[in-house]
Amino acid sequence: MPLVVPFGQYVPGTTPLHRLDARMKLLLVAAYVAALFLVHSWLGLGVCLLLLLAAFAAARIPARLALRGLKPVLVILAFTFLANALTLDAAGTESALALIGNFGISAPGVLRGLYLVLRIIALIISTVLLTLTTSVVALTDAMTSLMRPLAALRVPTEDIATMFSIALRFIPLTAAEAEKIMVAQSARGALFDQGGPIRRARAWLPVLVPLFVNLFRRADDLAAAMETRCYSGQGRSHLRVSTLHPSHAAAGLIGAILLIALGIIL
Amino acid sequence: MLAFNQVGLTYPGAAAPALEGVGFTLSAGEHVVLLGANGSGKSTLAQLANALLLPTSGQIEVDGLIAGERAGAGERAGAGPGSGSGPGPGAVIRQIRTLVGVIAQDPDNQIISTTVLDEVAFGPENLGLPRPELARRCAQALAMVGLAGFEERDPNSLSGGEKQRLVIAGILAMQPTYLILDEPTSMLDGRGRQEVVAAIAAARARGCGILHITHEMEYARAAERALVLAEGRLVYDGAPAGLLTDQEHLEQWGLACAPQLLTAASPIERQADTGAATSAGAPGPSAEPALSLVLQDVSYAYSAGTSFAHQALRDASLTVEPGSYSLICGDNGAGKSTLLRIAAGLLQPDHGRAGFAAAESLIPVRPGDVGLVFQHPEAQLFAQSVAEDILFGPRNLATARGQRLDGSAEQTIVTEALAAVGLDAQGFAGRSPFSLSGGEMRRVAIATVLAMQPRFLLLDEPTAGLDARGRAAIHSMIAQQRAAGAGVVVVSHDLAEFAAHAEQIYRLSAGELRAEPACEPTEATIPNSPTGLRPQPGQAQAQTPVEAQSPGPGLLSEQGGPPCPS
Ligand SMILES: Nc1ncnc2c1ncn2[C@@H]1O[C@H](COP(=O)(O)OP(=O)(O)OP(=O)(O)O)[C@@H](O)[C@H]1O
Ligand SMILES: [Mg+2]
Repeated sequence: MPLVVPFGQYVPGTTPLHRLDARMKLLLVAAYVAALFLVHSWLGLGVCLLLLLAAFAAARIPARLALRGLKPVLVILAFTFLANALTLDAAGTESALALIGNFGISAPGVLRGLYLVLRIIALIISTVLLTLTTSVVALTDAMTSLMRPLAALRVPTEDIATMFSIALRFIPLTAAEAEKIMVAQSARGALFDQGGPIRRARAWLPVLVPLFVNLFRRADDLAAAMETRCYSGQGRSHLRVSTLHPSHAAAGLIGAILLIALGIIL
Repeated sequence: MLAFNQVGLTYPGAAAPALEGVGFTLSAGEHVVLLGANGSGKSTLAQLANALLLPTSGQIEVDGLIAGERAGAGERAGAGPGSGSGPGPGAVIRQIRTLVGVIAQDPDNQIISTTVLDEVAFGPENLGLPRPELARRCAQALAMVGLAGFEERDPNSLSGGEKQRLVIAGILAMQPTYLILDEPTSMLDGRGRQEVVAAIAAARARGCGILHITHEMEYARAAERALVLAEGRLVYDGAPAGLLTDQEHLEQWGLACAPQLLTAASPIERQADTGAATSAGAPGPSAEPALSLVLQDVSYAYSAGTSFAHQALRDASLTVEPGSYSLICGDNGAGKSTLLRIAAGLLQPDHGRAGFAAAESLIPVRPGDVGLVFQHPEAQLFAQSVAEDILFGPRNLATARGQRLDGSAEQTIVTEALAAVGLDAQGFAGRSPFSLSGGEMRRVAIATVLAMQPRFLLLDEPTAGLDARGRAAIHSMIAQQRAAGAGVVVVSHDLAEFAAHAEQIYRLSAGELRAEPACEPTEATIPNSPTGLRPQPGQAQAQTPVEAQSPGPGLLSEQGGPPCPS
């Protein structure tokens, strides 16, 4: 059963942005975020925002989807803006507008607040763009592939990669199972949204207990299935050696260098 | 050769052994079926063959290899890190595991990777095989199970049958000599079953020895040899034909059930008596005039208005009369859970209406009016005791009406609900639901729904994974509910098991519900009716499960009709 689409869910496509190697996309987003923090002028921030708009246009993603990602952080944005715009020393500051007594708005504060807010928005929307154009599988593959050199430092990269993949498999399964148990208990007259917090928490017990019992049963089966196939987390070979196409590597590296340069210059 | 030699296993802390003195052999290329009632030790045997468990007595030899010494017997055996190198017990276990592949019931619990190709490669990758060999084995295994072309699909997007075939491919890629399948089809719908049976046949054609563990007699017919486990002992090793005609032993070993157990002993009086007794708590079916449950042109789409929209039901209409028995047959994904949820009043249709047919309009379904039993309902038990779990629904209903159940009313509800599924309250009410056997858990889970005295009962695959006795208990429970006036709807892939009892058969495919003409009396006499299904009135209650279960889906299609569902 299809679940409700959360923000930033992958929107399949064939644009260059969709096709770019996920590792390079991760690199570019990292460079973009670095550039956002390096720029020190309105011009620099403006260029960053324009680049983001251009990327959205290139990926053919409607702005509505991108803006949805901002909903959870609206409070933080408002707070950031107000904390900068408001001043308690309106009388003593030039270009400040006193509202009540010494409490007022300062013009430089408004500008500073706006700058910070725009920077946060760009930061969030760039990562949302990454998840909109990259499937979760490609993203985790990219992360494990970038992580692989750490095996030399005795980081259990194989186990971490297997964990990622199991999590990806079992999160939707568990969500579907939770929904099914909820429906079954509703059919037995359970109410999940009535009464105070304690009563609500208690109402979830008939869902959570079987959910955990089933998870443990699944974990048992899964462990057996992995053992049957001789998993030990060591001495594995790999069918997919994700070769990085030179043009992708070039695009990623040049893009990242340009972004950092932009951040330093402007 | 895979040889069990006087093998016994007692789980740590268990009073009685799960297996005792089991001896048999399985050769490459042989097709053997292993039958046995719930709890007879079949899964234990499968785990032993694969060295997931080590025997507490006796020996298991796989092509000359013997797993582990007695040390960790009865515990999970592990290959351990670094066991690939050097001789040692770990290396032997690893070798045994590549020789013997085990496939379990639920494909969802056996898939590790996020793409089909990675999943098949997982085992060979663990063996550290070089890349060209990995690629070759994956392509070969996928082709064998008919999943070539699925390489980049997400396993979560596959159907049940495809998932189980993927699991089989993952094992075949290890190139095992013996394949042990532990109820590989019991979670699947009709089409999935056929797909998996075909994949097993392909593996056998490649020379694998097959040990197919199952509750379903139809699979025994296709095998060369049949083994039967009863209470941990091997009681039969021989030709399937000899077994299938031996009614007396089949009953003794819990593989068939005496006909009289199927019919409920005077259910009408019993239910009528007790219905009055509990009406203090919840008005039973008899308290209100009997109305039909009706779905009128019901449509439903998930994620309507987005690009993910999926039309689950299209103009489905269904009338269930009190005391009637309908069978709906359809694949997973055909919309059956949506249909059941709408009928139980848990989901509002986009178009059309659902409810009880009153004079002019439809009365909406309230919680408790329609009992809904999902597939594998035992996965919803949660309370500390069976009694608490059973009382969950009735208490909720009472609270919703602003009432409280007193102690004696509660006791009556528990006793009756357990009696309705053939369990006695004294033995079970105080036990933890998690301490019960699979078959008992299923019956308790159904009792938790019956405790609300629903006027209609909707059951999704109620007998999946149950042995003959468990099935008989479910069939007699249904007969009792009907006798007490409840309308029953069963959703199942297994036409043969239920068609004999049902009055009306529907087929649900791609969200469309159609009545099957085959069970109208006029067509029932035509030998070549479209589905090959001819319910035999009068014989319905008297059939033994063995007869009732055959012909299976495969045989049905041989009679000229399309397998269920087409
Ligand atoms: N991990 C365990 N610990 C203790 N006892 C167990 C364990 N697993 C199974 N048993 C017990 O061993 C016996 C055999 O169980 P097993 O699962 O092998 O039966 P089965 O024939 O596969 O049953 P089913 O048809 O229900 O799958 C049962 O009595 C069961 O309760
Ligand atoms: Mg079993």
